[in-house]
Amino acid sequence: MVQVKHKVEKFNIATDAPGHVELLLGNEAIARGIVEAGVQVAAAYPGTPSSEILENLVKVAKKVGMYAQWAINEKVAIEVATAASMSGLRAVTAMKAQGLNVALDFVQHLNLIGTNGGLLIIVCDDPEAFSSVNEQDSRWLAQIGDYPLLEPSSVQEAKEMTKWAFELSEQLHSAVFLRSVTRISHASSVVTMSDIQRLDRKASFDLAQYFSPSPVVQKHAELKQKLEKARKIFESSPFNWYRGPSSPDLTLVCSGTGWLYALDAIELLDLEKSVGIIKLGTTWPLPVEFIQKHLRPGSRVLVVEEVDPFIEVHLKEQMYDKWGGDELPKIYGKNTGHIRAVGELNPDNLIDGIVKVLGVNYRGRNLSYDKKAKEHASKMTLARQPIYCPGCPHRASMWIVKRVLRLEGTDGFVTGDIGCYALDRYHGGQRVTRTQSAMGGGSGLASGFGKLEQFGFNQTVIAHCGDSTFFHAAIPAIINAVHHKSKTTYVVLDNSTTGMTGFQPHPGTLLDAIGDPAVPVDIEDLCRSLGCAVEVADPFDLEDAEQKLRDLVNREDTKVMIYRRKCGLIVFREEGPQYKVWVDEEKCFGEECGCDRYCTRIFKCPALIWDKEAHKAKVDEALCTGCGFCFKVCPQSAIVREKI
Amino acid sequence: MDEIDPLNIIVCGTGGQGNVLLSRFLARVFAKKGYYTTIGETFGSSQRGGAVMSHVRVSRKKSYGPLIPEGRGHVILGLEPMETIRVLGQYGNPEVKVISNVRPVYPMEAITGEKDYPEMEEVKRAIQELSSESWLLDATQMSLEMGNPILTNMIMMGALVQTKVINLSRSDMETMIRETFPDEVAQTNITAAIRGMQTVSSH
Amino acid sequence: MTSETVLKASQRLYDEVITTGLCTLCGACIGLCPYFGMNLRRGTIRRIDPCERDEGRCYQYCPRTDTDMDAIYRRILGVPYDKDKIDIGVVRDIFLAKSRDADILKKGQDGGVVTTLLWAAMEEGIIDCAVETRMDEDKSPVGFLARNKEELLQCAGNSYEPGAVFETLNRIPRDSSDNLAIVGLPCQVAAVGKMKTYPSQNGVNVDNIKLVVGLFCGWSLSPGSFHTFLRENFDLSQVIRFDIPHHPAHSFDVYTTSGKKSIELDEIAEFINPACSYCCDMTAQFADISVGSGRAMFKGWNTVIVRTGAGADLIEVAKKNGMLEIQPLPEENLTHLKKAALIKLKKAIKKITERTGSEQDFGYLKVRAEVAEALLEE
Repeated sequence: MVQVKHKVEKFNIATDAPGHVELLLGNEAIARGIVEAGVQVAAAYPGTPSSEILENLVKVAKKVGMYAQWAINEKVAIEVATAASMSGLRAVTAMKAQGLNVALDFVQHLNLIGTNGGLLIIVCDDPEAFSSVNEQDSRWLAQIGDYPLLEPSSVQEAKEMTKWAFELSEQLHSAVFLRSVTRISHASSVVTMSDIQRLDRKASFDLAQYFSPSPVVQKHAELKQKLEKARKIFESSPFNWYRGPSSPDLTLVCSGTGWLYALDAIELLDLEKSVGIIKLGTTWPLPVEFIQKHLRPGSRVLVVEEVDPFIEVHLKEQMYDKWGGDELPKIYGKNTGHIRAVGELNPDNLIDGIVKVLGVNYRGRNLSYDKKAKEHASKMTLARQPIYCPGCPHRASMWIVKRVLRLEGTDGFVTGDIGCYALDRYHGGQRVTRTQSAMGGGSGLASGFGKLEQFGFNQTVIAHCGDSTFFHAAIPAIINAVHHKSKTTYVVLDNSTTGMTGFQPHPGTLLDAIGDPAVPVDIEDLCRSLGCAVEVADPFDLEDAEQKLRDLVNREDTKVMIYRRKCGLIVFREEGPQYKVWVDEEKCFGEECGCDRYCTRIFKCPALIWDKEAHKAKVDEALCTGCGFCFKVCPQSAIVREKI
Repeated sequence: MDEIDPLNIIVCGTGGQGNVLLSRFLARVFAKKGYYTTIGETFGSSQRGGAVMSHVRVSRKKSYGPLIPEGRGHVILGLEPMETIRVLGQYGNPEVKVISNVRPVYPMEAITGEKDYPEMEEVKRAIQELSSESWLLDATQMSLEMGNPILTNMIMMGALVQTKVINLSRSDMETMIRETFPDEVAQTNITAAIRGMQTVSSH
Repeated sequence: MTSETVLKASQRLYDEVITTGLCTLCGACIGLCPYFGMNLRRGTIRRIDPCERDEGRCYQYCPRTDTDMDAIYRRILGVPYDKDKIDIGVVRDIFLAKSRDADILKKGQDGGVVTTLLWAAMEEGIIDCAVETRMDEDKSPVGFLARNKEELLQCAGNSYEPGAVFETLNRIPRDSSDNLAIVGLPCQVAAVGKMKTYPSQNGVNVDNIKLVVGLFCGWSLSPGSFHTFLRENFDLSQVIRFDIPHHPAHSFDVYTTSGKKSIELDEIAEFINPACSYCCDMTAQFADISVGSGRAMFKGWNTVIVRTGAGADLIEVAKKNGMLEIQPLPEENLTHLKKAALIKLKKAIKKITERTGSEQDFGYLKVRAEVAEALLEE
């Protein structure tokens, strides 16, 4: 997100211009906060909605004297960052919620160890699971790990909090959690910049210190004291405030996105005079004295947060201890059914909640318009499930896997994983993938299925994973399969990138995050060194790729098929279309015997469409990227391609 | 001009059409003129051909939240006609103004024949019925004639400016194009925007 | 028993034939379209994707879906299917024959007549190529388009399995102008008969099929299980050819580079395709020329039945060019042949009627009432 000014240096997040105003993405603002705090080491693994944080840091890392790394997975990423913190530098790691799950073993005892240089753990949750396998609320994990927790409510605040978090961390000698969500990380807003600190500390490991969580109970008690210290700091934090009348009919207690939605809701309901807002930016430990100051016995409180009733539950518990008796403020929220318990928060479901509590009316839009609009929408719109892009090599790979499984005829299936290739289970895929779980999950499951033969299991199982997923989590599962002689086939879909999250590098690529030459770890060599059968093919080379897989699947041992071809979007961007592709209508059989709309019904590339009038297939030139693969699919050779 | 504040604009389309780029372009033009602008986007896996929309909120007073409440859209800029209908379904109201492309991007179910893409005449009628004013153009066809489908975005941007439903001038837009795109392609993008403007003028 | 053929779709083919033990693996459904595929290793036909058409050639041409015997007989042989045809079909001429070519005799089965006739047809310009099968390194018969004598020689030799000859035939583009011959087992020849009776705009042009050569067949072996057996007991790269010598021998012979190994016929009985027990046709009734072994008395000779004018013309060509040695078939051989064919037929009818549950219902076989009576006679 940059403005290109002629003859003026373009703004980037390392531009030293305090007071400058710029439209920034939430994650960019966080990255700017990291730069302003003088952080020297950043390590992460890509994960929506957190990826842009490190993506923006790598662009300016050299300029600001920072080392930034795309690590092999989130657990190693946080370890890399912690090494820097141990050595006295300020360090940061960022991840999506499920990435926190991967790193959790380290995270859960990190705060018992304590920190030297300020260490910030940024976790970006995904309410409504737009791009995730669950919509977990990571705040509970911050509580379990005894971390001070910050939740920004706007893009500007995301920058401010991030910057301040390092001070807090150094004050407490404790790592700090910052929890963002999609609607903060992926929202854009105008942001005013501050000073950039340049710390340039020397990294040094103090041998007098012993970095360990033991003795656990003693360290745990110390940690509890740190949290209490944090709470005292939070009681007067500028990130918490009250806005509204001195005697409101209803007090909203908001965190994160709740704040701005609350402002929208109150404005629309015209309740500025009777509804107040306690906006919390520090949400664990709760600044209970601050909250109590703005509530009275019998106050009506609606807690506005996502996804879980984290604050709601803690607030009730704290109030119970502090207030007692029947003077307790009445606390509404998710547990009382006033706000949806699942899915993302938005101004509309918040309005519903306020209406429910106060019993006021809300005039939404004109009723007859509402009815008409919803009717048209329901009649004229279809679902759009995510599908493989035109030119995607995974479309070819899963096509081949489908053919092999069907020809084996053993009710075979694919154990799936996380990444672009997982789109096989949606409308545009071949739907041979029947499981999805954690990173590397498919590979682990497959090593299990491969040992069920003694119980009569005779279905062909293929696990697929991408190149980045292979490194992240699949390697231990594959080693497990080889060692235990699991009869499974692994198909590694190597498109030379971490695709779904935005084409980040990984340990198999030639360059690192910053663009310096790295040592590429070769997947083929690694698998061969395990002693199992390994084949490599280009999935666009249909006959060869299919024959190799067919030969492999019947082996009794563990085997690996590597389908290697660069991501289609990258090829299109770097090299443009390879072929001009069109359908020869004379040759196209369309609905006739011998075809029955094979390309549009079965192969399913969005650039191959069906012309209802002509009863023929057609290439949509607005979408086709000229990869030329479909030419091999047509049984009548009606799809023609010409090299450009 | 009596400004709507906050002005709620929704840019919608399918993943891969450049929805995000267009909404940011639009927001930056406003930001440059001193408005508080906020964009709420949905991307990530929805890039892969899913339904995408960006909520752009523009105000003189403050930064608004990233989500436009239901029924509160003022302007809808639709890169794909089915998406325009989808957004109208949730965010439209009798006063809303719509500028929409009329070139379908077929969802996979429509390509396989499991479902039907609605007839374009029906879609156009529905858009007109559900808005106070609407402008419909085949921006994709125009971009293909110009040699690159990615120009659809700037054609739509030009159309938007020409309708005068938002307080941005042609000069605001052209300046931002020059600031956003490398010199080699800036002029082509301006030409595309002008084509969009011309289509609306002759409406 | 009507003579109306009902057209249905790939799903029904799968449900009625392929998965019910009726499928002989003739392969007529393979290669028409991308929806069916053959797994040679397992000896199975699989549906790769679903076709939504109500009508399709796969169902129409399958020899185990409704087969209107009268319609096909009239089209191919010019006569109706009468009860005098039920054993060995139309016999325009029948004799013993043997190739005069040394190369062919060395490689061919028995008298090498099939190879010789195809070669004669090529030399005479009747055909441009022959759709045959050739054994791959795994000794599986794969479809092959032979265009000259060397290539024909590569195809010589019986594999005792149904070869994927149709996949090759079906893949010939409809605008090809090559004249073809095709060699097949009775089920495959029946499928060609249906193709000719119900020609389609799509797929290979049946007018180009100038010659159909059928092979006598009592049963064939299941590619999947039989091949596993072969792999376990032999180094397939050393195998040259197979033979089942006639009575009184009771063996399946495997000729390898280090000599011949005889396996008790009973040992391979388990690999016989169970679908063969529903087959009523021992001599490939819908061929132009049908060729079988000369039997014990005439080892090294083939029994040849000529059924059509095209067949007769080709025999004349071969005779004229001195490519074939011919002698009359003794009466007792003819009697034996008819008896053997009738036994196969009656066994099959019994199995079919057990399966359909009614003596009035011959399953896929659609015949007129008086023929039905003849089929039921002991």
